[in-house]
Amino acid sequence: MEIATLLITTITETLLSIAQLALLLVPILIAIEIARHYQVIEKITGKTKGALRFLLLPQEAALPLLAGIFFGIVFGSALIIDYAKEGFLKKRDLLLIGIFLSISHSVVEDTFIFAVFGANPLVLITTRTILAIIITRLAASLIDRFAPEAN
Amino acid sequence: MKTLVEPIKKGLQKSLHLLWLLIKIIVPVSCLVAILDYYGFVELIAGFFTPAMALFGLPGEATIALLLSFFVNFYAALGVIATMNLSSQQITVLAVMIGICHELPVETVICSYTGLRIPVSAALRLFTALLAGLILNLIYNLILGGV
Repeated sequence: MEIATLLITTITETLLSIAQLALLLVPILIAIEIARHYQVIEKITGKTKGALRFLLLPQEAALPLLAGIFFGIVFGSALIIDYAKEGFLKKRDLLLIGIFLSISHSVVEDTFIFAVFGANPLVLITTRTILAIIITRLAASLIDRFAPEAN
Repeated sequence: MKTLVEPIKKGLQKSLHLLWLLIKIIVPVSCLVAILDYYGFVELIAGFFTPAMALFGLPGEATIALLLSFFVNFYAALGVIATMNLSSQQITVLAVMIGICHELPVETVICSYTGLRIPVSAALRLFTALLAGLILNLIYNLILGGV
């Protein structure tokens, strides 16, 4: 096959899959913005007590953590930096939020994009969340045991 | 209803921005990979990593997608995935690994604001991704008997 034909086929196929993606991505990004507009995250932070207790994190961690999980790492860490300045969270809490978010962030957008390409969205979101929870909890225990000065 | 206009507009703007970004990244990357494939480079890399990728139930070519996602971003990896012939099990395993570990040069820096050091966060994500791929593939094969 000639290179030119190869490139034209590649470009056409790629643009087609992006167009397919657009059909899902646009409504999802709009839904995320609407959720942000109605401050849905702020409203559900109260319901995360049990989960946070398991992660050995204080209630104050709910907002930056949820924002990062649903809206992305950049938005989440902007809030984290804010919280750090205000002194709402201890050094240890910030570190744990960082660990959780580095493994699991912008799960809605990522999951939908991969689903368009044929991945199982349920498996994707569950695996990432479970791993983030286990590793964060493990890190929390380790920090509290071996580096209590971070508290 | 009036209050909805603003978020919808913002969502649309973001979508256009993201789609344009996707086009800018995925199209050149998939062209580059197509050319590398044409000259046999993909086969070379894939062949080298075939035994390692077998641990995740993935073909050697998946290495290209993983490397692109680790060092560039996961949109670049999509450019490769779109051209590969993968089963739904394989795409899911690959997507989990990429979802956990991607765009390290940028995201590890963002995460470092929380006090998480850059090499630690890179190593943590790489290790978690490999572990996740291994476990998920085992679960698929053992419990679900392969899908």
